[in-house]
Amino acid sequence: MSKVTTLAAAVASVPAGAHVALSGFATSRCAMAFAQEVIRQGIKRLTVSQCIAGIDADILVGAGAVERLISGGGSRGRSGQHACICRAIEQGTLRTEEYSSLSIAFRYLAGSLGLPFIPIRSLNGSDILKRLQEVEPPMVSSMKDPFTGEEWLLLKPLVPDVSVVQVQVADEDGNAWIMGPRWDNEEQAKASKRVIVITERLVTSETIRREPDRTVIPAFRVSHVVHLPFSAHPSSVYQVYDFDKTHIKEYAEASRTPDGFKQYLDKYVLGVKDHWEYLEKIGGMKHLSSLMADPVLGY
Amino acid sequence: MTLEIEYNDFELMAVAGARELKDGEIVGVGLGLPVVASFLAKRTHAPNLTILLELGVVAPEPLEVGVDGLSDPRIWYRATVHTSFTDMLGSVLHKGLVDVGFLGGLEVDQYGNLNTTFLGDPKGKFRRFTGSGGGNDMASCARRTVITIRHEPRKLSEAVSFITSPGYLGGGDQRARHGLPGGPAKVITDKAVFGFDPESKRMRLESIHPNTTLEYVLSNMGFKPIIPEHLPVTEPPTAEQVRLIREEIDPQRSYMG
Repeated sequence: MSKVTTLAAAVASVPAGAHVALSGFATSRCAMAFAQEVIRQGIKRLTVSQCIAGIDADILVGAGAVERLISGGGSRGRSGQHACICRAIEQGTLRTEEYSSLSIAFRYLAGSLGLPFIPIRSLNGSDILKRLQEVEPPMVSSMKDPFTGEEWLLLKPLVPDVSVVQVQVADEDGNAWIMGPRWDNEEQAKASKRVIVITERLVTSETIRREPDRTVIPAFRVSHVVHLPFSAHPSSVYQVYDFDKTHIKEYAEASRTPDGFKQYLDKYVLGVKDHWEYLEKIGGMKHLSSLMADPVLGY
Repeated sequence: MTLEIEYNDFELMAVAGARELKDGEIVGVGLGLPVVASFLAKRTHAPNLTILLELGVVAPEPLEVGVDGLSDPRIWYRATVHTSFTDMLGSVLHKGLVDVGFLGGLEVDQYGNLNTTFLGDPKGKFRRFTGSGGGNDMASCARRTVITIRHEPRKLSEAVSFITSPGYLGGGDQRARHGLPGGPAKVITDKAVFGFDPESKRMRLESIHPNTTLEYVLSNMGFKPIIPEHLPVTEPPTAEQVRLIREEIDPQRSYMG
């Protein structure tokens, strides 16, 4: 059954207040077109989770769409901190539940396996744990291993309402391939109640069935398929296009102040009708073709 | 006459860091200087070193390391496996197979506790930084950790603002009592190499770099480390190490100033 739809329709399926897991990591495979459409539709009070915050989370936080951020931290790497997230934390306008990369991955894993909790060695002794113990109701617990008597820290599963995954290749049903490292995406998608797949290329079922080893997300978990080229721009999609250094620099510069960020939103998000207009605004095909990945290098 | 080899502080740090990695080990690498140090080790004394990137990359051989971050596909190039957090930080690190967690930081204290979360007063004015990422996981689960940090008083603090990644906590057996294996083995700055006292777990000077004096080292840190009676000078980089860094590992000098 074809689940192919428009970005607007897929985004409209996400109600205010939903828990949305995003596939981005720093500046790679970020759900940018999705985030921009969420902002255009004015969907608010989201809970966003991901192992490492990407620019997809940062733009949503900057636009005031996020009430709660569950992550293991994150930055853009050498191009700087996520300014909108940092500012919101510094000003106390964003609720954060902070973990580490593995503790978020384990929470998704527990969610994907239908487990009630998962033991972990990380976080012990840290101030990250202290903060998680201070919230009401506490986000963590502990128990004695019934076999060895050893004390273990326990985390709750994460079960997002919807996971939004940027992929390279998918078919109309939603069978999706992720090329390159997958970070938290597989566990994240499998922990979620449903998945929105946003794909660079839409292929036939024949193509998927020829190489089923590559399928990371099976169709039966997927509610919507959106076929949208350059939908992770300005982040990278391995083997399809490189991250857009110039545009990320512009975003970084703009997001340093609330005013600058507002101007960025007005120009690139609220000032365009849809993703196609956005692509024109950032320089159209001429600019985008300069980002296309080398087939051997993957970037 | 011997030819003086010229090198800068970062190259000295990278070489000192590389020296901590043994051939055949598995190293989980954080962004920044640890990347350069790990690739340097692999190209010199540790060809069988396995380099892991937390997001799911095994044994990459990038053409350039001057990258934007771990999410930059340049640093994944020629990997042998593309996988996931659950695999890298779970079935390798959490299972106990990572020999060295190689981390950079914002602030480290005398017991090797590392802060990458914020500086300042959490109830008043503070500045937010990256948070943990895989740093806490490496510091909690690796057999040992190596920390690289700039030698500045505010970066080497008596107590950190926030323990993102545990070292020896309050010292003594506190870390072990939290069920944590390993712990920090070395802290490498651009002026000195530190280890930890086996009993108190306080930071102990092991060598000072040829570019400085003991007085400078001590007056530029927020606490007094244990000073051994015999204090060697850190072995300087060889001409070949400097050449590798400049010409092959980081030709764009993106880390090395």
